[in-house]
Amino acid sequence: MIINPYESAKKKIDIAAELINLHPNTLEYLKKTERALVVSIPVMMDDGSLEIFEGFRVHHSTLLGPGKGGVRFSPFVTLDEMKALALLMTFKTALLGLPLGGSKGGIRVDTKKLSERELENLTRRYTMEIINMIGPDRDVAAPDMYTDSRIMAWMMDTYSMQKGRTIPGVVTGKPIEIGGSIGRTEAPGTGMIYLLQHLCQKLNYNLKKMSVAIQGFGKVGSVVAKQLCNNSCNVIAISEEEGGIYSPDGLDIDTLIKWKLQGNLLKEYEGKNTSPITNDKLLSTECDVLIPAAVENQIYSKNADKIDCKIILEGANSPTTSQADKILEEKEIIVVPDILANSGGVCVSYFEYIQDMQSYFWKLDRVNQEMKSILIDTFEKIFEFSKKTDSSLRTAAYAISANRLAKAHELRGLFP
Amino acid sequence: MAVNPFEMAKKQIDIVAEVLDLDPNIHKFLKRVERSLIVSIPIMMDDGTVKIFEGYRVHHSTIRGPGKGGLRYSLGVNLDEVKALATWMTWKTSLLNLPLGGSKGGICVDPFKLSKKELERLTRRFTAEIINIIGPDIDIPAPDVNTNPQIMAWIMDTYSMQKGRTITGVVTGKPVEIGGSVGRADATGMGLYFVLQAMAEKLRLELKSLKIVVQGFGNVGGTIANLLYKHGCKVIAVSDISTGICCEDGLDVEKLLDWAKQGNLFKDYKNENYKLIGNDELLTLKCDVLIPAAIENQITEKNAEKINCKIVLEGANGPTTPEADKVLFKKEIYVVPDILANSGGVCVSYFEYVQDINSYFWKLDRINEELKRIIIEAFEETYKISEEKKIPLRTAAYIIAVSRIAKAIELRGIFP
Repeated sequence: MIINPYESAKKKIDIAAELINLHPNTLEYLKKTERALVVSIPVMMDDGSLEIFEGFRVHHSTLLGPGKGGVRFSPFVTLDEMKALALLMTFKTALLGLPLGGSKGGIRVDTKKLSERELENLTRRYTMEIINMIGPDRDVAAPDMYTDSRIMAWMMDTYSMQKGRTIPGVVTGKPIEIGGSIGRTEAPGTGMIYLLQHLCQKLNYNLKKMSVAIQGFGKVGSVVAKQLCNNSCNVIAISEEEGGIYSPDGLDIDTLIKWKLQGNLLKEYEGKNTSPITNDKLLSTECDVLIPAAVENQIYSKNADKIDCKIILEGANSPTTSQADKILEEKEIIVVPDILANSGGVCVSYFEYIQDMQSYFWKLDRVNQEMKSILIDTFEKIFEFSKKTDSSLRTAAYAISANRLAKAHELRGLFP
Repeated sequence: MAVNPFEMAKKQIDIVAEVLDLDPNIHKFLKRVERSLIVSIPIMMDDGTVKIFEGYRVHHSTIRGPGKGGLRYSLGVNLDEVKALATWMTWKTSLLNLPLGGSKGGICVDPFKLSKKELERLTRRFTAEIINIIGPDIDIPAPDVNTNPQIMAWIMDTYSMQKGRTITGVVTGKPVEIGGSVGRADATGMGLYFVLQAMAEKLRLELKSLKIVVQGFGNVGGTIANLLYKHGCKVIAVSDISTGICCEDGLDVEKLLDWAKQGNLFKDYKNENYKLIGNDELLTLKCDVLIPAAIENQITEKNAEKINCKIVLEGANGPTTPEADKVLFKKEIYVVPDILANSGGVCVSYFEYVQDINSYFWKLDRINEELKRIIIEAFEETYKISEEKKIPLRTAAYIIAVSRIAKAIELRGIFP
């Protein structure tokens, strides 16, 4: 049975709400979506026919500031998925203490079937249709699945043309040349490294001696792998959708990145003492740190028992199901939850927005330094709270967010 | 099984597209709902608890001008219903050749369970939530099921407060004291009257000699019955929710109006010459003009064969089912369709908007004169096409409305 993503997102809030005795009025408010805009997007295709796509922009909450959330172009986009992802963004920005809310958007489309011109027209028309819902002071979009800096540039251009002046702060994840932030692309990976370093220090582990298995070789997985490799860690396994590669001696990530760029599959690579590995097998490989950085629901009731690591660092969104969470807790595996672990991305998106509004741009050092301090502070808060309440890091993270949102809700009161 | 109203609306477009041999691209574009905004509306109840309602505002098309459409408060409200009603508004404004589009909105709520204060808070919060997609140049709401001039006044006030200046043209159906139009309340009835006048002329019938049956005695039914009565017609039967009431020699409609205005029901009305009859009997009485002015789906395949009149004048929305339409056409009964017959309301709403943006207010004479001009023009056009093509008036009306939109799409082209 397919789980409705919005229902399962609401369930996470329920668990946290119980822990902190959230007032029922606040709980209900947090579960509702402020507004959801559904638009139809007509696009003239290259062959002269007209196609009409369905697009969405959802604000879950703008209680703490402008909405912040990605735009995804995927054939599986639904309103409920958008609502769920917007809700998770609210909790993510609240957790990091950013003055931002949570939102999400998308278009139900298979981008692989579009020409570059069709994709551009789709993006521009979508931007026009949602133009009243977005803006630096309203809701700031960003890349997500199957969207990239090029698409953000088109959105920024369309928005600016419409308003009659250049407004880079309407989206983040832009190319650096037109108001993007340095360090944005690598940010989720960089953030994960900071968190892992900090956690190891806390637990008196030597990061350099740790073995790491990574599922996923995309924007997050490859960056983490490369940085771990640079830190002389042992990345013993890494995979992509078609499968992966394993070596007990550690893999040379730079070589694998080159291999990938040549259009090859990871499992076809043959190196010293390497062997192909399936995604299933990778997850249950004996290692110190397991990093699921691919898609959701990878660690679930059936394989949770076989997970053989000390730390799980969630690079992807929702890689662990709630049943698996319980099993991992019994096995005393530390799970650093997605909402914290991969939040480097939204954090540097926030910096990009700040730099755009200020028209003053930072150096990479400052970006990474500020990100590190936000992530580590947040981690400390979560860690303490989880100890105090004897709850998992995930529940503690949601509880901290819920508390912050509840306080804001109480202070602002109810209009009119 | 309940028919999905939006599926029905789309099917109507398909039928017209086939008759018109429409370009497939334009056909696709016509079915597109431009945007649907779904909002959650939290309000503080009088007892201190918070309740969260769901509200909608849908623009089906703004291709010929700002959206125009009512706002209903009812537990039956859902997104597909609102989408369908918005689509029908597009055809209505197009048929009358007004420079307006089609929209609709609503809140899923039982307004009779709210106190006046709660109703006001609900209305104001809803207005704040949809504020970016309404306005005199964007979309202009109006009263509909369970909403009234007071609610329109609250919307206008909230909108004006937010914008920092008084903007009366954001809604129509306002009280006359704050930018409403004279004649708005009786507009639908007046429109029915003008159309019937023209129809009778076409059929060479003397209006005064006609025997009339009216189902429903509310704003629409009561007004048209009274107008015809004053004009010397014999109104032989009317009905309210309690019963039908009938007299072959004609009813004294004025007295019945007084009775109803005092909050009484027909079943308690005492007059020995009057006979109480059921709904089924009322609809099948032998008469010249049958005016269904109550609710939808009253003339169906079950009773269509027994309808015994020359003209059906649709005061209500959708009183005749498509199956019944076919039967009536075969019986050579003229059905003046809802989108033409009851369009007096939206027409005077348009006048209200014109007066508001002009800051110049008309006298009742001018209102009725212009209403007559517009509605008769639409009637003449409809009648002509129906005679030429030997098709029902309804199909002819749709052909005019849809062609006008199709032409606008063709001229404007696809952005960007």
